[in-house]
Amino acid sequence: MPVQAHTSQPRGDRTLLAVGVAWFLAYVVARWVLEQPELPRALRLGAALLPVPLFAAFLVRFVRSLRGADELERRIHLEALAIAFPLTILLLQTLGLLERAVGLKFEDWSYGHVWAYLPLFYFIGLVVSRRRYA
Amino acid sequence: MRNRLRVLRAERGWSQAELAERLGVSRQTVNAIETEKYDPSLPLAFALARLFGQPIESIFEPA
Repeated sequence: MPVQAHTSQPRGDRTLLAVGVAWFLAYVVARWVLEQPELPRALRLGAALLPVPLFAAFLVRFVRSLRGADELERRIHLEALAIAFPLTILLLQTLGLLERAVGLKFEDWSYGHVWAYLPLFYFIGLVVSRRRYA
Repeated sequence: MRNRLRVLRAERGWSQAELAERLGVSRQTVNAIETEKYDPSLPLAFALARLFGQPIESIFEPA
């Protein structure tokens, strides 16, 4: 009798990937719409909120995927978070200090761009943790 | 924690994938336990003990 769900869930992973791609595309569309200052405010507002429901769907799928994973896979994700979170703190701290030291241009290194690094940090955490248990 | 999982599995002629299937975990998990990189949870340790028909302490021992 299996004690828990198996990690291999190709169908679930494909759905997760599809929702993730949809979320990213919604963000790209939103950015494009918000670059058009002549568009009505309501449309711009709608575009800004467009990624939210897709992100919610992604989150639900991601949590389901994790709950269906076996105990080692869940540990790997936990360790990935344990790596990504301090890396995020380090990035924010460094940006804050650099801002005071030399000033940072919004277009280059503002806090508005920090979120884009978070998936990267999580991915780094996953790679490090997977190598540990490989 | 040291364990005799590899020996017990070999005695039965099971591959890591077969054992993983019987336990409902991934092959990576079985490999990580065998190479002693990962200590299983208590429920998984009990499942292993049941599967091999041996008490937990005869499969696992403190390093």
